[in-house]
Amino acid sequence: MPRPERKLISLTIDGREVQAVEGTMLVDAARAADVEIPYFCYEPKLGAPVGACRMCLVEIEGIPKLQTSCSTPVRDGMVVNTTVERVKEAQNSIVEFLLVNHPLDCPVCDKGGECPLQDITFGWGKGRTRVIEPKRHFVKPLALSPLIAIDRERCILCYRCVRFSQEIAEDWQLIFTERGAHTFVGTHDGHPYVAPFSGNIIELCPVGALTSRPYRFRARPWDVEGSGGVCTLCPSQCNVEFTVRDDKVTRVLARENPGVDDGWLCDKGRFAYQAIHVDERITTPLVRGADGELRPAGWDEALEAAGALAEHRGRAAALIGGQASNEEAFLLARLLREGLGSGDIDSRLGAAGELDLNLMRALAAPALQASVSDLEFAHIVLVLGTEPIDDSPILDLRIRKGVRRNGVKLAIASARPSALDHNAKLAIRFAPGGEAEFLESLEWALGTPGSGETHELAALLRDGGEEVVILWGESLSAPARATLLRIADRLGLAERQGAGLLEVPLGTNARGIREAGALPGAGPGYGEASPGRSAAQIAAAAAAGEIGALHLFQIDPLRELPDRDGWERALAGAKLVVAHAATLTDGLARHADVIFPAESGAEKDGTVVHPDGRLQRLRSAIRRPGEVRAGWQVLADLAKRVGLDTGVLTAGMAFRQLIAAVPFYEGLTLEAIGGRGLRWPETEAAAAMPAPGPLAAAAGASATPAASGPRAEANGHLLAGTYRSIWAASEVEISPALRFAVAEQVVELSPQDADRLGIEDGAAVRVAQNGTRLRGRAAIRSGVPAGTAFLAAGIAEESANALTEPLVEVSKL
Amino acid sequence: MSRHLLFDRIDEPGLNTIGVYERRGGYSAMRKALQMPPEAIIEEIKQSAIRGRGGAGFQMGQKASFLPKGEMAKYLVCNADESEPGTFKDRELMQKSPHTLVEGIIITTYATGIHRAFIYIRGEYQLQADILDQAVAEARSAGYLGENILGSGHSLELVVHRGAGAYICGEETGLLDSLEGKRGNPRLKPPFPAIEGLYAGPTLVNNVETLGTVPTIINMGGAEYAKIGTQGSTGTKLISVSGDVQRPGNYEIELGMPSREIIYGLCGGPRDGRSVKMWFPGGSSSPVLLESDLDLAYDFDTMAKAGSMLGSGAIIVVDDSHTALEVMQKVVKFYAHESCGKCVPCREGTNWTLKMIERIEAGESTPMDLDILASAQSQIIGHCLCVLGDAMAMPVGSIVEKFRDELAEEIEAARERANSLAYATA
Repeated sequence: MPRPERKLISLTIDGREVQAVEGTMLVDAARAADVEIPYFCYEPKLGAPVGACRMCLVEIEGIPKLQTSCSTPVRDGMVVNTTVERVKEAQNSIVEFLLVNHPLDCPVCDKGGECPLQDITFGWGKGRTRVIEPKRHFVKPLALSPLIAIDRERCILCYRCVRFSQEIAEDWQLIFTERGAHTFVGTHDGHPYVAPFSGNIIELCPVGALTSRPYRFRARPWDVEGSGGVCTLCPSQCNVEFTVRDDKVTRVLARENPGVDDGWLCDKGRFAYQAIHVDERITTPLVRGADGELRPAGWDEALEAAGALAEHRGRAAALIGGQASNEEAFLLARLLREGLGSGDIDSRLGAAGELDLNLMRALAAPALQASVSDLEFAHIVLVLGTEPIDDSPILDLRIRKGVRRNGVKLAIASARPSALDHNAKLAIRFAPGGEAEFLESLEWALGTPGSGETHELAALLRDGGEEVVILWGESLSAPARATLLRIADRLGLAERQGAGLLEVPLGTNARGIREAGALPGAGPGYGEASPGRSAAQIAAAAAAGEIGALHLFQIDPLRELPDRDGWERALAGAKLVVAHAATLTDGLARHADVIFPAESGAEKDGTVVHPDGRLQRLRSAIRRPGEVRAGWQVLADLAKRVGLDTGVLTAGMAFRQLIAAVPFYEGLTLEAIGGRGLRWPETEAAAAMPAPGPLAAAAGASATPAASGPRAEANGHLLAGTYRSIWAASEVEISPALRFAVAEQVVELSPQDADRLGIEDGAAVRVAQNGTRLRGRAAIRSGVPAGTAFLAAGIAEESANALTEPLVEVSKL
Repeated sequence: MSRHLLFDRIDEPGLNTIGVYERRGGYSAMRKALQMPPEAIIEEIKQSAIRGRGGAGFQMGQKASFLPKGEMAKYLVCNADESEPGTFKDRELMQKSPHTLVEGIIITTYATGIHRAFIYIRGEYQLQADILDQAVAEARSAGYLGENILGSGHSLELVVHRGAGAYICGEETGLLDSLEGKRGNPRLKPPFPAIEGLYAGPTLVNNVETLGTVPTIINMGGAEYAKIGTQGSTGTKLISVSGDVQRPGNYEIELGMPSREIIYGLCGGPRDGRSVKMWFPGGSSSPVLLESDLDLAYDFDTMAKAGSMLGSGAIIVVDDSHTALEVMQKVVKFYAHESCGKCVPCREGTNWTLKMIERIEAGESTPMDLDILASAQSQIIGHCLCVLGDAMAMPVGSIVEKFRDELAEEIEAARERANSLAYATA
């Protein structure tokens, strides 16, 4: 879809001729010209202006009445006055009106000092009021949700929070109740406003009506400093500003970056900062003693103990979690390959098999990469095998925005129903694990006339418009990926501007870690490397005693990887388990011999790569608590212990080594990455991306129309798929504010199966398979195809990671 | 002079049924119109120069011509919310001759290429809504609604929708939001409904009386209709007269009739021994006029020139048995109650004004407070999202201006009362 054209026009504001892009709202054009017009309700992120607060009234010559500058697009030759007497009078009066009912309890208000109402009252108000009448009263403050307190007396009814709920998150929970001066914000029946993005309304509120309960009374704006960073809790990699007081993160705010997050945050990103400063955090090295107990130890002792890795030269393996930085991944791969002479390193979460390097290169080809903002302007967006709200929440909002504001046609193809189904033109369900079959039939449908939903999707992709973006999930199997690549080729996505593929990986920095070379058989920059085992092969080899040492960098395989029992055996089978972790999860508590305390995302210095190829910079916002040391430093020290001098003495040196090792990063500097990041596929160096070799023979030629619908249930068993909830993260579990949200085993069933099995919504159920038993709570979801069930993975207890087979038996408990 | 077009033999029994209506020549304008090219109908309406009867007085032909041409999802919405205090003319028309409205809607939709129309009627008008439902059913059975009306190729679905009783839903964009199932709040304009209205489609919003006049215009011809009334205010107008007159009720008059003739001639003036203290010429939202203004011609332009407005044609007469404070309090109470709360000057302005008046009544004000009261009104006027705020501020502002001395006396008197009460109870 064509981006809006930018045509410059000129207008006169306060006697000065200024330039602005045609169609810009007057208030924005004025700000760009250094003329500040006050406002409360206007917020371009929220869509069309509402003109409710009337604070931005200005005089436009030729129009008798004052106009709201937030809703007036600039026109060529417009003459605008913002400081004439009648405008000043209007501004004075709006401030006076606003304070008729505002309690002016600024000294005890959290917003004091960073409050637009305060600032505008000082800047544009008269300074005295003529109101002596009593103000309206509400019970206050009330909990709008476990995270948000609402003070209705302070509310100026600016519409921002309600618009967010209705038009951005589209959860439709917040509404106005009552009328006139009695109006107040609430939910339909007073239920708590719990939604994945609810925290954004705190930041949107221009007064102290909506405040963060975890932050309430923690600090005054003059007590704190803001520090730019990147949220490392999911692949969205939203840009954030950490509010720091006394070297502690006390709040997380959005740091708007249109190329990444559009200025929004999910509640996990906004509130899970609490995990940085809780007692559960590991802040000192731990070493397992002869008695089998993990005990705090000094760094020398821990490094000495971990140095025993050297005894397993050639028989060591490493796994790396998604929160590692590029530099950490790069150094870990060096440590393993150069220091320990092993190629057994994997960073892929999920059930990835052997690495097909050519396929990976082809899918990461710069010409084929769509950017996040392409989602907003594409003609067609296909969401394939991923659920944005869970896997990369902020993309859910971006897709909604595209559909709502730009008429993007959305299609969903997934096993599990999606929160975006209602916004989609077409929502196709395939059986869990049936994505390869589905894509083959889609490929076939692209070239063969026919009817049915797969053909509808084919027609949409083929004829719906030039710009097609396919958002695909990392859990797609290798055959499915190969087919996806052929489909992309057939649609010519590589050649089209604004079209392409965008992967939603399972780990935050999965892309950067791969590019740094933490893959079996692939070195930095997707280059060739000595062969190595994949994660599943490492598990099998370790269980069989073929691997002596396991090095786990910010990952607990029992938690993050499928086949929990297999990993249990692997961890038990390895003679030495060295881990880096911020919290003591179950697998590490029972099996790790040495644990190095890991940095949180607010402490790291380094870089990460966004799924669309944007390098972003992590900057240390706070001092590391306790004995925590930088990840790069620990890895460099450890390398030294096993006889490898990495030559890395600072974070910057680690970065430079990485840049030198990855050909398509050539020329990148930290300065160039800056605060907004830099997409390497758009740089000249991108040409250095290795070309994919020949791919495995295309099955497309022989492809036939496969049954793409979900398979029928077999013998009363259900075909199981897994999902990882947005809340399934150890950071959420230890953040006190998020306790209410901790993910549990919720078994999603179709109404038909629930009926057949006599299971009611919310009932306790048991899921059984080959002697494995999980307990959970049933959720009946109308979009779940009969014969399938979806189970939560990545959770602390009763996790679906324990399952190994496709079929499960679900029964009432 | 009173002249009957819409109210011609309005009390004839059974006129609300299609049989009687047609026997009297009803639906002949529709038959005639369906033979005409749509543009010709618009042309006739333009020539008639009829101004909207809902309150704003915008020329109907011009409004209809703003609608984009061609096939698309366009809507006609008949505003039957009639919620302005003092206005009850549409009620009588819909109750006694509903087919006049249905016929007007059919002709207008044909002229503008609209295939979906709604009558948004206020919830309190239960009887009238039932009658309209009946009329719509009759028109449908007669083949005047539905697919391909009388073989003309024009199709129309007409739905009667009952409101839930909010003044703001009479404001055209608030009405559209309410009709869409949302909270009835006015929208920011532009975009105007003619460009982006109901369900974001181009929408023509017209008052009951305006649409009800369309058959007359088609029958008479626009040019002929324009000869009635004055140059800027053509045609006849249904007016509702209430308050201190001996014969309150609905009347149909030719625009331009002297106001005195309406209030004294048609309605008998105040009771004996009383005189007109002030009168609202166009509903409770119009600035008040005085006894001395009674010789003004009752038409759009003259009323505007006198600093007030003709509005919906609802004349409220107040005689000298009432105090200015009492009148002001009634007006303010209504608008403060009905403010939707969307924009600041209206929400807080009406509420503050009400509190100021309550303070006067409690004897806690001084005449200086009148300056604040007046200034608050001028801060509301022209600063609001829709005209509800102005609807309070304009009459209140005019009352303060015109009855300042009396109000000052009332303030002092109220203070005395409060003081003596305080002494008495001390």
